[in-house]
Amino acid sequence: MDNLPVEVIGNILSQLGAARDVVIASTSCQKWREAWRNHLHSLLFDSSDWPLYHDFPLYRLEILITQTIFQTRGLQRLSILMNDVDEFSAAPVVAWLLYTRDSLRELYYNARTIPSVNILEKCGRHKLEVLALAHNSIIGVEPSYQRFPQLRSLLLTSVSISALDLSLLLNICPKLEVLKLINPDIVISDNHTTLELYSTSLKDVYMDAISMDKVILEGDHIEKLHLKDCTLEMFLLVGKGGLRIFRIDDVSVLHFDIDEVVDLEAVSVCFPRLKHLSLSYERDSVLHYGLPGSSCLENVAVLELGWTVINDLFIEWLSGLLERCPNLKKLIIYGAVSGAKTHDECNALARFTSSIVQLMRIHSQVEVLFEFE
Amino acid sequence: MASTSTSTLSRKLILKSSDGEKFEVDENVAMQSQTIKHMIEDLDDINSPIPVSIVTGTILSKVIEYCKKHATEDSDSDEQLKQWDKEYANNMDLNTLYYLLLAANYMEIKGLLELITQCVADMIKGKSPEEIRAHFNIKNDFTPQEEANIRNENPWAFEN
Repeated sequence: MDNLPVEVIGNILSQLGAARDVVIASTSCQKWREAWRNHLHSLLFDSSDWPLYHDFPLYRLEILITQTIFQTRGLQRLSILMNDVDEFSAAPVVAWLLYTRDSLRELYYNARTIPSVNILEKCGRHKLEVLALAHNSIIGVEPSYQRFPQLRSLLLTSVSISALDLSLLLNICPKLEVLKLINPDIVISDNHTTLELYSTSLKDVYMDAISMDKVILEGDHIEKLHLKDCTLEMFLLVGKGGLRIFRIDDVSVLHFDIDEVVDLEAVSVCFPRLKHLSLSYERDSVLHYGLPGSSCLENVAVLELGWTVINDLFIEWLSGLLERCPNLKKLIIYGAVSGAKTHDECNALARFTSSIVQLMRIHSQVEVLFEFE
Repeated sequence: MASTSTSTLSRKLILKSSDGEKFEVDENVAMQSQTIKHMIEDLDDINSPIPVSIVTGTILSKVIEYCKKHATEDSDSDEQLKQWDKEYANNMDLNTLYYLLLAANYMEIKGLLELITQCVADMIKGKSPEEIRAHFNIKNDFTPQEEANIRNENPWAFEN
C-alpha cells in the first residue's frame, strides 16, 4: 500500500463513509493521515452507524462533529443523518455549513435543529449538485440573490415550506433534474392556495404523501412522474411530450388533467382510484397508441378528451379507452374546429360523428357531451 | 443499428505491458481508459503498440477483462453487471487488488477505480489501526508520542 498515491488513499477513505472508520483509518500511518487532512472528499455522520452516538451528551456530539469536519479540507459530500438524537443548536450547524461552503457538492442533512437554521442561506450554493433535507423548514427563498446554478437533485422529506417558497426554489435551480417531495408540510396562504411548480430542466418528479387542493406541474422536459399516496383536488401536468413513465399509486385525485402529448404505449398507467381523467393532445400521431394492457381505469366516471386535429384514428383510440373504463358515466369531448373548413375536414367530422353514434350504442350507459371551439 | 456498425468497424489497438506482453483489443475497449484515449489522439500510427508502462501483463489482462465486459452494450442489465463486478473483485487477492488500483489510477478507468476503491474500503471498515496495518502490510511510521497525539485529536473515535 506504500506506493499508492495519496489521492488514491483519499478516495479509499472517502468511500469508507462513516466518520469514525475514516478517523480510525487515518491514524494508520503518515500518508493516510495526509490523505485524511487534504484529500478526503466525503464524510458521513450517521447515528445508526454507531450506538455510542446516542450515548454522547449533545454538546459532545456537536463538538466532535465540528472538530472532525474542521480537520478536513475541500469536503465535497457531507451527510449528517442524526434525526434520532436531540436537537442540535444552531451555532455548530451553521459552522459546519460555512466551513464546507466553498467545496460542497452534496449535502444530506437529516437532523433537527433549534432554533431552526436557514440551510439554503448558509450552505454553499455555487457548487452544490445534490441537496437532501429532512425534518427541517425552509423559510424565505430569496430569488434576488440566492441561486443554485449546479443543483441537479433536490430531495425534501418532511420539510416545512410554503407553496410560494417551493415554486421560487425551483426557479433558482436552473439545472434541477430530479425533484422528490416526501411528506412535505406545504404551507399555503390566502394568495397561494395552489402549488405551482415550473421548471424547464426537471426530468424526474416524485411526490409522496402530499395533500393539496391544487397542484400544477409545468415542465418542458419531464420524463418521469410518480405520484404516491397523495390526496389532491386537482392535478394539472403541463408538458411538451417527453413523459415516458407515469405512475400513480394509491392516489386520490378528483380532477386529473394532462396537457401533454402522452406516449401511452410507454407509459405505465395505474389509476386505482382515479375518478376523473382528462387527456388532451396536440399531435394527432399519439392517437395511434393504445393504453397498455395493465392499465386499470375502473373508477373513472368522467372522461374528458380533447384533440386539436381530428382524424379517424381518434375513434379507434376512444373505443379502446372506453373498454378500459367500464364504469364510465360521462364522456366529454373537446374539439377544435377550424373556421375555414375544407371538404376533407368536413368529411372527417362527418365520419367522426357517425362513428361516435355507433360506438355509443355499445356504451349506452355513458352520457356524451361535445364542446367545440 | 449505429452501435453495431461501429463495433464491427472498430479498430484494433495493441497494448504493451511493462514486461513486454502484447494485447490486441478493440478500440472501444481500450478507450475506457482516459489515459489511452489521450495517447491515441496524439498518435500518428495506431498500429504500433501502445506502452502501458507501469502495468504488468498479468494485471493488464485483468484490466482488459474488466474493460471488455463494460464496453459491450449487450443485454446485461445493471443488476447483472453489478453482480459481475462483485465477483470480479472478490476473486482478486490483496496483492492483485493493490496493483489493479495502481493500474486503474494510472490508466484513468473511472469505473474500475471506484470498484477496487470500494472493495478496499470495505476491508477497512470496522478495523482498528493495528488491524489495518497488519491487513495491508502498512508500516507504522509514527513515533509513539506522535501516535498518542493524533489519537488525542479525535479521542471519541477510539471509545468503545
